[in-house]
Amino acid sequence: MKRLVLRSLAAIGVLAAATAMAQPIKIGAPQPMTGPDAPFGDKFKKAYGMAIEEINAAGGVNGRKLEIVIEDHQAKNQLAATVAEKLITQEKVLVMTGGRASGQAMEIASVSQRLKTPYLVDHPSADMITTKGFEWVFRNNPTGSIYPAAFQDFITNYPAAMPKSAAVVYDNTLFGKTIGGAAIKILKAKGVNVVADEAYPVNTLDFKPTMTKVKGTNPDYVLLVAVATTDAILLTRHAKEMGLTPRAFVGFGGGFGVADYATQLGPLAENVFSSAAWSGNPNDPKTKAFYDKFHAKYGIWPHEHEVEGYSAIYILADALKRAKLTGNLDADRDAIRKALLATDMVTVFGKVKFGNWTGPTGDPFTNQNVYSPEHSVMAQWKAGQLLNVWPKAFAETALTFPEPVKK
Amino acid sequence: METFAQSLVSGVLTGALYAMIGIGLTVVFGVMKIINLAHGEMVMLGMFGAFWGQALWHLDPFVSLVVWTPLMFVVGMLTYRFLLRKIIPGGELNTLLYTAGLSLLIANVALFVWKGDYRTISLSYGMTPVRPFGIAIAVPLAIAFGLAIAITVALWLFLSRTNLGRAIRATSQNPEAATLMGVDVERVAVVTFGLGTALAGAAGVLLAPSLYLYPTVGELLLVKCFVIVVLGGLGSVPGAIAGGILLGVVESLGAVYVSATYKDGIGFVLFLAVLLYRPSGLFGVGK
Amino acid sequence: MKLARRFLPALLGVAALAAIPLVVKNSFFLHVCILVLMWTVLGAAWNVLGGFAGQVSFGHAALFAVGAYTTIILYLKGGLAPWWGIPLGGLAAAVVSLPIGFLCFRLRGPYFSLSTLAVAEIVKLVALNWESVTAGSVGYLITSLPPLSILGASVNWEGKVPFYVAAAILTVIALAATGWLRSSRIGAYLVAIRENEDAAEAVGIDTVRTKALTFALSAFLAGMGGGFYAFYFRYVDPDAVAGIGLSMEMVFIAVVGGLGTVGGPLVGAVFLTAVAELVRERFQAGHLIFYGLFMMLVIRYMPEGIWGRVRKIIDGKKGGS
Repeated sequence: MKRLVLRSLAAIGVLAAATAMAQPIKIGAPQPMTGPDAPFGDKFKKAYGMAIEEINAAGGVNGRKLEIVIEDHQAKNQLAATVAEKLITQEKVLVMTGGRASGQAMEIASVSQRLKTPYLVDHPSADMITTKGFEWVFRNNPTGSIYPAAFQDFITNYPAAMPKSAAVVYDNTLFGKTIGGAAIKILKAKGVNVVADEAYPVNTLDFKPTMTKVKGTNPDYVLLVAVATTDAILLTRHAKEMGLTPRAFVGFGGGFGVADYATQLGPLAENVFSSAAWSGNPNDPKTKAFYDKFHAKYGIWPHEHEVEGYSAIYILADALKRAKLTGNLDADRDAIRKALLATDMVTVFGKVKFGNWTGPTGDPFTNQNVYSPEHSVMAQWKAGQLLNVWPKAFAETALTFPEPVKK
Repeated sequence: METFAQSLVSGVLTGALYAMIGIGLTVVFGVMKIINLAHGEMVMLGMFGAFWGQALWHLDPFVSLVVWTPLMFVVGMLTYRFLLRKIIPGGELNTLLYTAGLSLLIANVALFVWKGDYRTISLSYGMTPVRPFGIAIAVPLAIAFGLAIAITVALWLFLSRTNLGRAIRATSQNPEAATLMGVDVERVAVVTFGLGTALAGAAGVLLAPSLYLYPTVGELLLVKCFVIVVLGGLGSVPGAIAGGILLGVVESLGAVYVSATYKDGIGFVLFLAVLLYRPSGLFGVGK
Repeated sequence: MKLARRFLPALLGVAALAAIPLVVKNSFFLHVCILVLMWTVLGAAWNVLGGFAGQVSFGHAALFAVGAYTTIILYLKGGLAPWWGIPLGGLAAAVVSLPIGFLCFRLRGPYFSLSTLAVAEIVKLVALNWESVTAGSVGYLITSLPPLSILGASVNWEGKVPFYVAAAILTVIALAATGWLRSSRIGAYLVAIRENEDAAEAVGIDTVRTKALTFALSAFLAGMGGGFYAFYFRYVDPDAVAGIGLSMEMVFIAVVGGLGTVGGPLVGAVFLTAVAELVRERFQAGHLIFYGLFMMLVIRYMPEGIWGRVRKIIDGKKGGS
C-alpha cells in the first residue's frame, strides 16, 4: 500500500517537474464535490469552466492557457487543509481560489498563508478570513457583516420604512450569527425595538413553536436569516402558517434567493424581501449578457455562486497577465500576490480593488474588496421571480411595501 | 395561552411522527436486541419514495403509502436475510458497527444517485392551514397524524391478534421460552426486521410533505429516534409512542419558553436523565 | 529472550517512525503520515475503552473537543505554547471523563453507547453556545506559533517535520500506554469485565473504578489527539472538533485495525487514510460509499480486524504462542 502511494506520489512529482513555461497556468480550487455540499461544488465547477474556456479561446493569458484543478474537500475542514496542501505542494498551482464554506476556507487561508501562495476567496463570507492580517489572502465578495448594508439603506431612505419594532430569527452558525448580529446592531442604532431575538440550530425540522412565540410579540418587521435553503423555506412557511403579518418579511442568506424557494412556497413567497448575496448588477449589460450566456450553456440561471466563481477566474487572469512569471514557483506566487494588490477592474460581479479598511463591526480588513459595501441589494419575490428593488440604482422593478393585507 | 395551545398541538402532531420512526427501531430491538444504526436511512428511503412518486407519476404522497410500505417490508427482509443474519451471532458490538457501515453506505449511494440537493414536496392542499379554535394546523401534518395513528393501531392488532404477531411479542419478552414453545425464531426475526423497516419507510412517506428531504437526513432523524426509544424504554411499542409525543411536546414548548438553540439540548438532557434514573423508560413499560 | 521478543517489534516500529522524515522529503506525503499518526492516537484512545474494556463509546469527539479547545484557548488567551497545551488538553479531557464516566457507566451495553452519544451532542451544544469561552461558531484560529529552539536550532513551523515529530511522540505514548495496559493487572481485570461484568464483580474486581481509570486513560489520549489537531490544523470550531462523524471515525479505525490489539489502530489508520486518499483520487464521486462498504466487509469477514487477523496467522504458524 505504501509503495503504491509512493509510486503515485513520485508520478505526480515527475509531472509537476515537467511543467515548463509552455504549460498551462494552474489555479487550485478546493470545493465540496461529494458530500452534503456537493451541489455547490458543481455550481463553481461550471462557473470556473466557462470562464476558463472563454479566456483560453481568446488566446489565454500572455499566450499561456489557464487550467483549473478542483479537489474535493467534502465540506470537511481537515480535508480542506489536506487538499490545499496537495494543490500547493503536489500540483504546484500558482494561485488558489474556492473553498465554498467558511470553516473550510479558514483552513485553506491558513495553509495558503503558510505556504506563501495567493488565495482569492470567491464565496466564503466569514469576516474572520480577512481580519487576521493574512497578506496572501484576498476576498472579492462581501463579508457577512456587510450583507445588511442595503437593508440599512432601505429603512433609512425609503419613505416611512423605518420599523416600529422588529423580530430577528437567525441560525446559530457563523453565517447566521454574523448577519443576525449585524442586523440587530443596525436596528438598535436606529432606535428600533428588537422584540424577538431568536437563534435556532441549523436544519430545524419545525419552526412553528418559534413562530408562535414571535407572533406573540407582534413585530412590525420580521427578519429571517438562514444559511440552509431548507431552513429558509420552512421559516417562511411556518411563519405564514402561524399567521404572522408584519409590514415586511426580510430574508437574509442564499436560501431566500434560490428558485426552489419560490417553487416550494408558491404564493407564500410573494413579496418576501430577499437580501440575498450579491450576484452582480442585473441592469449592467455585461452582467446581463453573462446571465444569458451561462443560461444558454448550462440551462440554469446563474446566481451568486456562479457569478462569484466566474468573476474570480477573471480577477486572477487579470493579475496573471500583469505579473511577470519566471518559472520559479516562489517568485511567481509573490509576483501574483503583488499583481493582485494592484487589481482595479470591473467584473460581472462588480468593481474590484483590494484594500485594508475597517468593516462595519469595527474589524480591520486585509485585502478585502473595498467596493464590498456597494455589493448589497434587496430583492423581492414577484410571481415566482426574484427582482432587485433597492437601492434604486440596481432596481429592476418597483417595490411593494408595506405587504398588502389579505382579506 | 394561545401560544401555549399552539405549541402543544404542534408538538403532539410532530411527536406522533417521531413516534412512528421510534416504533420501527424499538420493535427490532425488542426481538433481536440490535440497534439498527441504518434505521434513519430507511426513513430517508421512504421520504424519497414519496418524492419520486409525486415527481414521476403524480402520485399523492399519502396514497403512495400503499406502494412503499410493502416494498420497504421486502427491503427489510432482504437486508436481514442477506446482510445481517450472518453478523448478529458475532455479538452486539459487531452488529452495531456493521449497521453503522450500512448507514454510511446507503446514505452515500443515495447522495451519489440523487445528489445532495434539498427537496420538498408541495401539495396543492397543503398551502393554507386549517384553523380550528384559532390554532393553525397544517393539512399535510394533520393527514400524516391520522395515518400514523391508523398504522399504529393496525400494528397493534397484528401483534396482539395474529399468531405471528404473538410469536413476535413472545420472542421479544423471552427468546428462550419462545424457542421452547416452538416459535420459529429465524422466521420471527426476518418478519420483525421487515416490519421495522416498513414502519421506518412509512414514517418517511408521512414526514416527507411536512419536511424536506436530502440523502443524509437519516442521521438527524436517527438521533431523535434514540432519544424517543430510550425515553419510552427500549423494546416497548407503547413506550415509543409516549416517548415520541413527549419529545415533540418538549421540543415545541422548549423552543417557545426557553430558546430554540437549546431545544435539542433539552431533549438530550431529558434522555440522559431517563437513562440514568429510569433505564427501563420513563413509564416503566420497558424491561 | 522473552523480553527481547516483546520489545523488538516496538523498537523496530520506533526506528521506522524516526526514519520516515529523514528519508521522505515530500511534504504532502509527510502530511498524510501526520494524519495517519493522529488517527492512530485517536483510534488507540477509543480502543482502550472500546476494545479492551468492551465499552463502546459513540461520544469520543467530546473528549477530543475538550483537548482541542483547552490547547487552543490556553495558547490564544494565556500565551501557553501548544506543546504544553497538548498534555494539559489530555489532562482536561481526563478530568471531564470522570463525571461522564460516573453517569454513563451505570449503564451497560447499547444503553452505555447511546448515553455517550447524548453526552457528545451536549458537549457540542455547549461549545456552540458558551461563546465567552469557546467563541461559539466563530471558533479560534492560530495565526502564528511561538518561536522554539531545540539544541540551538530554531524550529521552522512552516515545515512538516516538527509536526511529524510531535505526532510520532504522541503515537509512541498512545501505543506504549495500550501495551502497558494489556500486560498490567488492570488489563486482566478489563478482559474479565468485557467477558462477563457480573462475574468480574463477583470475584471482587472493583468494576466501576477499573472502568473509570480506563476511561480516564482513553480520554487523556483522545484529548491529546484533540490538542494536536488544534496545534496542526490551527482552526477549531464546534463542527470540526465535536461532530458525531469524528466519533464514528475513531470507532471505524479501531474496528478495522483490530479491537483490543496494540498495533490495530495504527494498521486501521494507515488503511483507512490510505484507502480514503486513493479512492478519493480515482473515484471522485462518492468515496464514502467505499468507506461504508469496506467497514461492512471487514466486520463480515474479518471481525477481529486486519491486525487481529495477521496476528492470528502469525501465532497460528508458531503453533499458538
